[in-house]
Amino acid sequence: MFCRNQTARATVARGSALEMEIRRGKFRNSVFLDTSQDSDLQKKIDHEIRMRDGACKLLAACSQRDQALEAAKSLQTCSTRILAYMSELQRMKEAQVMQKVTRRSSDAGPMDDRMPCKGKVAISDLRIPLMWKDTEYFKNKGELHRCAVFCLLQLGGEIFDTDMVIVDRTLTDICFDNAIVFDASPGFELRVELYSCCSEDDYSAGSTPRKLASKLSSSLGRSSGKKLRASMEPGPVSPVSNGGASPLLLPVPSVPGPKYHLLAHTTLTLSHVQDSFRTHDLTISGNEECSYWLPLYGSMCCRLAAQPHCMTQKMMSGCLKVKQCGADLQSWTKVYAVLKGTSLFCYHRQEDVEANVEPAFTIGINKETRIRAAEKDPQSKVQNICISNQYGGEEVTHTLTTDSREDTHRWMEAFWQHFYDMSQWKQCCDDLMKIELPSLRKPAPATPKQGSLYHEMVIESSDDLSSSVSDILARRLQELELRSQLGTSPTWMSLFEENSPKIVGRPRPCTSRLSGHSPCTPHRLPRSPVSPHRCAQMGLLSSDVSLTSDSDSHCSTSLCSHHYGWPEPSSNFPILSSSPSRLRPRTLSLDAKLSTLRGRGLGGGGVGGGGGNCHCSCQPPSSSLLGPSPISSRSPRLQHSTQTTLSCSSSTSSSSSSSNSECSHSPESSEGVPFSRPSPVRRSLRNLRARLDPRNWLQSQV
Amino acid sequence: MSYIPGQPMTAVAQRIEIQKLRQGDHLILGFSIGGGIDQDPGQNPFSEDKTDKGIYVTRITPGGPADVAGLVMGDKILQVNGWDMTMVTHDQARKRLTKKKEDVVRLLVTRKSLEKAVKQSMSH
Repeated sequence: MFCRNQTARATVARGSALEMEIRRGKFRNSVFLDTSQDSDLQKKIDHEIRMRDGACKLLAACSQRDQALEAAKSLQTCSTRILAYMSELQRMKEAQVMQKVTRRSSDAGPMDDRMPCKGKVAISDLRIPLMWKDTEYFKNKGELHRCAVFCLLQLGGEIFDTDMVIVDRTLTDICFDNAIVFDASPGFELRVELYSCCSEDDYSAGSTPRKLASKLSSSLGRSSGKKLRASMEPGPVSPVSNGGASPLLLPVPSVPGPKYHLLAHTTLTLSHVQDSFRTHDLTISGNEECSYWLPLYGSMCCRLAAQPHCMTQKMMSGCLKVKQCGADLQSWTKVYAVLKGTSLFCYHRQEDVEANVEPAFTIGINKETRIRAAEKDPQSKVQNICISNQYGGEEVTHTLTTDSREDTHRWMEAFWQHFYDMSQWKQCCDDLMKIELPSLRKPAPATPKQGSLYHEMVIESSDDLSSSVSDILARRLQELELRSQLGTSPTWMSLFEENSPKIVGRPRPCTSRLSGHSPCTPHRLPRSPVSPHRCAQMGLLSSDVSLTSDSDSHCSTSLCSHHYGWPEPSSNFPILSSSPSRLRPRTLSLDAKLSTLRGRGLGGGGVGGGGGNCHCSCQPPSSSLLGPSPISSRSPRLQHSTQTTLSCSSSTSSSSSSSNSECSHSPESSEGVPFSRPSPVRRSLRNLRARLDPRNWLQSQV
Repeated sequence: MSYIPGQPMTAVAQRIEIQKLRQGDHLILGFSIGGGIDQDPGQNPFSEDKTDKGIYVTRITPGGPADVAGLVMGDKILQVNGWDMTMVTHDQARKRLTKKKEDVVRLLVTRKSLEKAVKQSMSH
């Protein structure tokens, strides 16, 4: 019974009893048709296929390397998603068929398996250390071997990709700032895959025409030719849908352009969940000969947190009467009880719950609690529930009773389910782990330092533009303030507040004069090295703030008055103001403004990985010397880039994480739980390893 | 706090006396140090002069003996019980602080805010 016109079909063997029954009309065909879940999946598949086609077209059309890399990344993501959805669809169909067949054959009793509650699993602050050879590291000549990398995170049917990072030998770790939240059950498997693609122009197959490329690959030396050929190999096969019939597998149209290859992968499960950073091993595929090779240290640090719903949501609520054993036996307290997390909160009235009033009392419900049904109360004929906890050395028992038998039953059921959830989610139910919602973290404006879109734009000064610029800036500022967890910096805010009205308010005598003149040379505002005890905002100003003026060199007083204005709020900044008083307002190019904001934002909220060493993590002042962002710095500021633990998640990791880390550049000796000291043998081993690595700045706990 | 090696150095210093806390077999002070002549001074976040190879306090356990005695993160330790700490290796520094026979360490520390306080009081 094969129906070609249907979007889904179940294969039923010819001549089987099932087929006979269908023929006789005992089962409608619709029983075998798509459920709504299937059609959802199909829609998702179609969407992804469209995205993929779009990415292919973009890849073929774009000329710049970064755009090509981004397009290739979305292509890879779409292909992986399609594969995942396809296999999910297949599995669901098989399950459907199996279910229907078994249900028909045997009258299965009610499904007695208890399902654990689902929860949110969040992975954030991924950091993958690299291990460059010192010859590579200190090599100053020759072009930089660069790779573009990103991570794909897959859990169940959901696949997310992180932002792309360009890695070269000045980088010591690959850091991904994204925080990704999944919905999962306790038996989840989160697969993390690291894809990389060589980003050197020599190997870009997109720019070289085919004939030339093949000539080159044959005429190049053996190793480089191998690399070139590897970079041009056809991609993986991937299914396409052809309008409803069973999907066929077609190879991806080989698009000339950068291709990502799987460099490393690992799988994380519930046992890896912890409220702090942990290090996990990576399985590396590929070897040194591949073009996309990067010398990975072999491990990955990340923070994997889970919030099961039993900890965050109300599992059960209702009216109860509670009596504490030991108190006089006749006093029952009427309460409105809410079962959530590790406690049963008892409020005097139901309205207190919404009003956020403190509960009258709280009964702990955790792994050590024992709950049992007591004998029937002689008066009310309803069973009581006894909850026993150990507080300190003694046992405290609370007795609950409800108004009816059904209520008691429901409460017992809720308790059993709660205990089951806690046993499934294990360590996640000890304490609530914090999960930051990724929506608050907006990505930094991705304008590369070298050449940005805005350099190519010609900004003609006009009233409208400058007011819109200041609007954009004000909005960006708000975004970044949400992002950066340092709080507002009044100094900078006042700078921009002074900025915008001045730009807007200034009358513009002649706009035509501006376009005729060549842009003047950028002048820099150097700032003195700031002492580390300042707050982090000011510390970040030590990065270069370059103000490029697009208007002509006869700039106006408005900028100068900014200069005069600036020393007031922050008298410690020696600012060189090089422009004498002029008449016309100067418009700062958007890029200049954005780069200052970006420098501030990136340094503030960007690098969060703190796997190995979080020595100065608790205090914001220590992060002030982050200065140049990690990508552009030549000397690896290991300690600092890992110490900018500004996200609240990592602040809890300061003491407990470092003992787990095995990174080569985690030099701490005897850093661990405070007030404890490792054995001298371990310490000397660590000391030895740390001392041998010249890039470290040892810290010891005394 | 920058100084030329071999030339005498002046600094405004404070004496801090820390009573070690006994925890089982160990005596702890409750802070972490960084620096030393065998370490890379450029990575010291607390030093003003990035060639300063002195010993700095990098972390204080809140509520610990050092915190109670008034040690502040970022302090540079000049002497410990009379022993000099401005020209020692990291390990020597650690050893001088963690002698098992000593229950009390008397530190001579300096920090930027001390100098500023003195300057201010002198200018008034």
